[in-house]
Amino acid sequence: MTMIALHVNRRAVELSAEPRTSLADFVRERLDLTGTHLGCEHGVCGACTVLLDGVPARSCITYAVACEGADVTTIEGLDADEVTTELRAAFTREHALQCGYCTPGMLVSARDLVLRLPDADERRIRVGLSGNLCRCTGYVGIVRAVQSVIEARRARNIAPQADGGRTHLGPAGSGRATSSREELQRARQALAPASESATPGRIPDFTPATVLDQRFTLPHPPAKVFAMFDDIAAIAACLPGVSLTAPPRPERVEGSIRVRLGPIAAAFEGAARIERDPATLAGRIVGIGTDQRSHSATQGEIRYRLVPLEGGAATAVELSIGYTLTGMLAQFGRPGLVRDLARRLIAEFAGNLDRHMSGAPSRSAAELSFWSIASDVLRARLARMFGRVFTGKGSAE
Amino acid sequence: MKPAPFSYERPRDLDAALSMLAASTGSAKIIAGGQSLGPMLNLRLVQPELIVDISGLAELKRAEVSGGELVLGALVTHADIEDGRTADVTRGAMRAVAANIAYRAVRNRGTIGGSLSHADPAADWVSALAALGARVTLRSLTGARTMAIQAFVVGALESALRAGEIVEAVHVPTRTVSSHWGYAKSCRKTGEFAHAIGAVLVDPAAASARVVIGAIDTTPIVVTDAAELFGGRIAADYKQRFDVSVADALLTKAGIDDAAQRHIHVSVLKRAVLEAAA
Repeated sequence: MTMIALHVNRRAVELSAEPRTSLADFVRERLDLTGTHLGCEHGVCGACTVLLDGVPARSCITYAVACEGADVTTIEGLDADEVTTELRAAFTREHALQCGYCTPGMLVSARDLVLRLPDADERRIRVGLSGNLCRCTGYVGIVRAVQSVIEARRARNIAPQADGGRTHLGPAGSGRATSSREELQRARQALAPASESATPGRIPDFTPATVLDQRFTLPHPPAKVFAMFDDIAAIAACLPGVSLTAPPRPERVEGSIRVRLGPIAAAFEGAARIERDPATLAGRIVGIGTDQRSHSATQGEIRYRLVPLEGGAATAVELSIGYTLTGMLAQFGRPGLVRDLARRLIAEFAGNLDRHMSGAPSRSAAELSFWSIASDVLRARLARMFGRVFTGKGSAE
Repeated sequence: MKPAPFSYERPRDLDAALSMLAASTGSAKIIAGGQSLGPMLNLRLVQPELIVDISGLAELKRAEVSGGELVLGALVTHADIEDGRTADVTRGAMRAVAANIAYRAVRNRGTIGGSLSHADPAADWVSALAALGARVTLRSLTGARTMAIQAFVVGALESALRAGEIVEAVHVPTRTVSSHWGYAKSCRKTGEFAHAIGAVLVDPAAASARVVIGAIDTTPIVVTDAAELFGGRIAADYKQRFDVSVADALLTKAGIDDAAQRHIHVSVLKRAVLEAAA
């Protein structure tokens, strides 16, 4: 086994692997970045194409050990990439995929063509994509998608970059490694393991992949509710599964949220930025977090607006919850089930808020889960049952 | 589709690499971009005990013009040449060849030295550099030697490299202003290995021509004095004078018995001649 230190999707990674481990197997098996697909495993089909030092390379015939010190970007690392975002929209519009197996590699190669080709010449695009095999959609939609993105960008006066931005000579991914004997020491000194970077420094804006709108009412005036929303520790205590890991500041909070959906459990650790607008009684919380166990990341956003009800005696809380999941958990493509979870989470949040504002102690809700809901139901049933028994006894005496 | 286990070393400089190679008694393979060796390792066609990764050696990443020729370090990639990150003394000839090797993702790692060392007769550089009159420098712990490309490739996947020797640099002569260049290949699928390659460097002003018929499953046919292919003399009308029967006879002599195969090779060579004359 050899210790390999490199950057994957802008994250420092240091893991040991056998020298024969391909870069594709390394990112898939060791980092759970399963968006990189393996097809032929000998450099022909293109499914495994990733960016190595910013340019496309075959990860099946590039060994991870040879990428010491390199910058690897897999499809997961292109979520916020401008060109890839345009390509994803174009692929959707042009029906450029069916089963999706070739799509990660196809997008990496397409992105390279968008950057390099001077215009949307169909022949050049087809030649440029000849190293990426698709066996189900056919190439018509793919070529159209790439053409449309090139046309749109050139129309916006974005110039092509014929060399893809590369300035060094030699194989992409090479050159930052030291010799094998010095390597171990240096890697240990220079790079912190990935698991230590749980809390992000900067919380970026993002466009959520999924948005859920929810609304609940509270029997308290808007101004009181808005003031309550500023008490971050109290709000956190009302949010099922949320716990704070550092004392909150008015504009920033660090903590974790545990969620469970059936057998799927995740604990996202991260930070959130808080914005408030007293004039409109509205606000926004933007957060980013990672789940170490599943190597998943989420970006979440809660926008809220308080609307007076019953002449100002009560408040309607209008929530818009947006999130984007990446990593293993993102493979669970069932937004309906997540929506249901969010609905239950918000119902519990609303209940806790109301209790808190009315001066009643908040229930301890460490984790929102089917089981906690089921046990709630059970508890209620037992209470009713015992209630009946006691009541029955009482009435008999 | 996973390679058999191998040990891995990343030498600190070329001398260290050569020492590792010398100490390995033939059970080591050099890897650079790995675009030819990688597939063979994955398919377990090659099972070396030791892989010596030279991809980081800065001394093999040079590209400079000196003494009327371009010297390219073995680690210069196809994409480096395609994009013009290296000087070009061939007036675009090498850039065009590089741009059509395999696929961009392969060109970003595949190197000119690795391609030559692999000595696949269907590889573009084997034919193109022979037509351009390039030479290659081989280095071992005991010293260096330089030879013409056509002498370097001795057969299918067989080069003149001795144990302990690696390709250090490629020397490309400056192409004369009066010369014409034509390069054509036939691939069943774009980017796949060629089934036929034709490369011609014709200088009507100097009445000289170099012609290569490549991808013939063995070392390419290199005609350094190609007058016979053009009816005995090379002049401005060489396109009209190109004699397919002479090319066909060359292929027969090289052992290509299949008339259909010879027809493909002759046709591809003719395309190269037409491109040069265009």
